[in-house]
Amino acid sequence: MAQAIKLNPKKKLGKKASERLWFWLFLAPALGAFAIMVWVPFFMGVYFSMTDWTGLNTGRQILIGFENYRTIFTDYRFIYSFSRTVIYSVLNILVINGVAFGLSLLVTQKFKLKNVYRAAFFIPNLIGGLVLGFIWQFIFNNIIAGQVGLQLLERSPLSSSPNDAMFALIAVVTWQYAGYIMMIYIAALQNIPEDLIEASKIDGANAVQRMRAIVLPLVAQAFTVALFLTLVTSFKQFDTVQSLTNSGPATDLPLYIRNLLNITTIPTVSGTSLMAVDIYREAFTRFNMGVGQAKAIVFFAVLLLISITQVYVNKKREVEL
Amino acid sequence: MKKVLLLLLALFTVVTLAACGGSGDTELIIFQNKVEIDAILREYADAWGEENGITVTVRSCGGDACAYGDRILTEFQGTDQPDIFVIEGLGGFNDFKDKILPFENQAWMDDTDLGLTVDGVVYGFPVNIEAWGMGYNKDILDAAGINPASLNSLAGYRAAFEKLDSMKAELGLTGVVGMAAGAGMEWVTGLHNFNGYLSAGLDYDDRSVIEDLLAGQPNMDRLGQLADWVELLFQYADQTILLEGTYDSQVGAFKDQKVAFIHQGNWIDPNLLGAPAIDFPVGYAPHASVSGTVDAIFVGAPSYYVINRDGNNTDAANQFLNDLALTQEGHSYMVEKANMVPAFRSVTLPVTAPLSAAANVWAQAGKSWAWFQNDMPSGFGMGEAGPIYFQYAQGNITKEQFVQRLADLIRTLQ
Repeated sequence: MAQAIKLNPKKKLGKKASERLWFWLFLAPALGAFAIMVWVPFFMGVYFSMTDWTGLNTGRQILIGFENYRTIFTDYRFIYSFSRTVIYSVLNILVINGVAFGLSLLVTQKFKLKNVYRAAFFIPNLIGGLVLGFIWQFIFNNIIAGQVGLQLLERSPLSSSPNDAMFALIAVVTWQYAGYIMMIYIAALQNIPEDLIEASKIDGANAVQRMRAIVLPLVAQAFTVALFLTLVTSFKQFDTVQSLTNSGPATDLPLYIRNLLNITTIPTVSGTSLMAVDIYREAFTRFNMGVGQAKAIVFFAVLLLISITQVYVNKKREVEL
Repeated sequence: MKKVLLLLLALFTVVTLAACGGSGDTELIIFQNKVEIDAILREYADAWGEENGITVTVRSCGGDACAYGDRILTEFQGTDQPDIFVIEGLGGFNDFKDKILPFENQAWMDDTDLGLTVDGVVYGFPVNIEAWGMGYNKDILDAAGINPASLNSLAGYRAAFEKLDSMKAELGLTGVVGMAAGAGMEWVTGLHNFNGYLSAGLDYDDRSVIEDLLAGQPNMDRLGQLADWVELLFQYADQTILLEGTYDSQVGAFKDQKVAFIHQGNWIDPNLLGAPAIDFPVGYAPHASVSGTVDAIFVGAPSYYVINRDGNNTDAANQFLNDLALTQEGHSYMVEKANMVPAFRSVTLPVTAPLSAAANVWAQAGKSWAWFQNDMPSGFGMGEAGPIYFQYAQGNITKEQFVQRLADLIRTLQ
């Protein structure tokens, strides 16, 4: 017995080491895949953002430090894209969540065919953004406006003014995305215990009071998720813009940006050139891969900051039952 | 321990296998941007490859479905990079010059003047010739009693446009000119129309205006003349096509005889000949981009085959291009199969497609203005000048502002 006790600690250590080895070995495939798919591209991106790379695989690019970052903060296109993206995202988040929450309240009432309605509102989300953009371009140009259609508008909003084009874009994206967000709200609404609602009814609370005191606090968790999803997708909006408006229509660079950057001329910019589109154009039509990459890194940092703030603020409002 | 070793061995094997791509060394890879000739080029390349014992792979990417500029970058990242790829003009050369091998002592070089030459060194093999002017529908002009020969000045155009405009109902026209300036069509305005500023009225090799542009020096006089021309075009253009039109709606209107003129090049021939083919005669008249008498259309090589200097098969690539330019099979492929207007003097086969034939008449007569639009920096014409045209088409800015903004834009290149 005494011998066994003496031997035990040694044996235990050996076991621990081999456990650790197995632990890392089993983790290796996942970790390796994660490193190859996420870390390596990310750090390569950071590296390329500090070079004069043009996208050709020549291996002859040179490191130029933070020059690209200096370039983009004096680039009126980037500043303009940023301002348009912020405006677009704020409006888009409000409209999508408003519509989605409204729809979810409707389809959680007791009536026939509610599942059919749920499916119908959800289906646009299954259509790819590019296809959707082309379909709606046709609808706006030929049915809502145009000589043969309903002629609701004199001019197609896609080409009449930058703000009209942005509203059209928001309408299309809402049509596409609200059904998806609606599903999240439905799940949350269904989790509200029936007895709470019933008790409040017996206490004489009206619909508005019930909404404020019971429903909204209890679906706060869903708001966190839905706001995060809409925030991120709005900021990264690319495919639908590309096919619907092609980042047009053209307009003057607003006065405040001209004053900010001390530009005395009036450059022309594209009214719905959101950040993702601007980054794409910088990299692939102007072939400034390095500058495009730097824009992407800044974009990433900004988005990270905003979304962390959003989740933090929303989390505070959540309640547990 | 055995198990661990086995596992490591398995992992190692997987990694090694994944790292080994297949590689063949007698394969010639061509990456090109004319999707419409993909099958035809493949057929020619296969026949050529069989004769020479070389496997030729043709990859195509272009048109609306595939962005050539993006994909070419992807192609370069692999180990089987294309040996021959396509660039457009000096702008393209500047983007890709790190990858391009110069041509030296190749037989085709004596057979054309249209190779891409930079500082006396030839870098590009001209794929074909393309041209644009004001394409017109001869039947409609005849019905309105307009002689195409009168379309040789701004005043001549104004008279013709006014007359056609007054007869719109009678002729069944929705507008006089089919031209698109909206988002996505900036190549028509920012590249093709703007090229009038760069080369109209000048000798074919006169690079003074483009060189000034590249140095950030606008020519206010020429910009003013261009603006007069643009004003006239926009005034008489079908407004729906102008502001919202796509390539299809623009070409469709010309094909359906809804407009008398089209602001497009001979590349629309396949659309005109597609069922139902047009049954009216067409021709080209000069752009009145400059004041005074105009007597030429814009003729040039839209794109060039270049050889990848990091490729494995530069000799085979050179042989392929020489045979294309100088053999009977090559000529037959270019003219009869691919319906291109060839850039080589030794080709004697007749060109038949309607606008190509019309363009060929001008080119043969030596009445041509150069293409300098692709010599502007990438994104300048379409991304910067095109939107200014759109602002003007919208009526957001006046003619004076249009000129001013183009001038300001050119000054940014300083």
